[in-house]
Amino acid sequence: MTTLKIADREFTSRLFVGTGKFASNDIMARAIQASGTQMVTVALRRVDIENENDNMLAAIDRKKCQLLPNTSGARDADEAIRLSRLARAASGINWVKLEVTPDPYYLLPDGTETLKAAEALVKDGFIVLPYIHADPILAKKLQDVGCATVMPLASPIGSNQGMKTRASIEIIIEQATVPVVVDAGLGAPSHAAEAMEMGADAVLVNTAIATAADPIEMARAFKMAVEAGRIAYETGLAPKTTASASSPLTGFLRNEE
Amino acid sequence: MSAILKINGQEKTFEKGLPATLSELLDSLKIDAATVVAEIDGKIVEREDFAQTNLAEGQAIELIRFVGGG
Repeated sequence: MTTLKIADREFTSRLFVGTGKFASNDIMARAIQASGTQMVTVALRRVDIENENDNMLAAIDRKKCQLLPNTSGARDADEAIRLSRLARAASGINWVKLEVTPDPYYLLPDGTETLKAAEALVKDGFIVLPYIHADPILAKKLQDVGCATVMPLASPIGSNQGMKTRASIEIIIEQATVPVVVDAGLGAPSHAAEAMEMGADAVLVNTAIATAADPIEMARAFKMAVEAGRIAYETGLAPKTTASASSPLTGFLRNEE
Repeated sequence: MSAILKINGQEKTFEKGLPATLSELLDSLKIDAATVVAEIDGKIVEREDFAQTNLAEGQAIELIRFVGGG
């Protein structure tokens, strides 16, 4: 399996893991370990000044895993830029998963605001990984303004519906010169394998792992699926035909007429 | 003399006067400075500057931390 290069960093794992929705920091840490991931997303929120705050970062081994702060909650470009700068101040990391989702129901990304924010953040020295609808034209524009990847959604965030946008993601993969990370909606290891077989460079999974009955085993299943899909892509799938016997068509236990 | 700060959108009254610095405010709220990032009136304060950042009546302070997210 080849390594994945994003900006100036190389990754041997092609599975990114989101850290939301885990039942505990301990389960999250063990799932991260089982997934073999080298990149985990985190969000920024206000401190609760009335109650004790949990320090989830302490559960992440930052020697093995790079943090990828997201801008979740941002409803427009300005809010996303503000969150990115806060994330950089908080973590010392200039990577950001840019997401602008004004629609609170389907959480679909706003392409216009995302492009505006991406342009400003690239100029400000950020490594920008934008979360987008599977829109090949927008993907190209984001690439042209200097984004390090594009991250098209497979289906709405947290929906576990799999590769509903497959045809558009195929076009994005065909045209992109930056890595394509399929994000959102991958609900089963087979969905992740499908994305990787198509030639996606990586996938990001959160809900499907975090809310599984056993997140640690599910993380392991996703790891295997991502590797299997990638190896299949690099090897090249055998061509599709109408039918072609796998067993010999001679020597049957009967006399040929 | 009591004083008010707006912290994370809520007004908080300090009956015995304001904490002198951002570090002292975090101590009084029992928040570990290493886990948060702060904004005062919309301007980010770098963590190494917390101890030298003086507070003033009426400032809007945002205290933000990382949480799990996808």
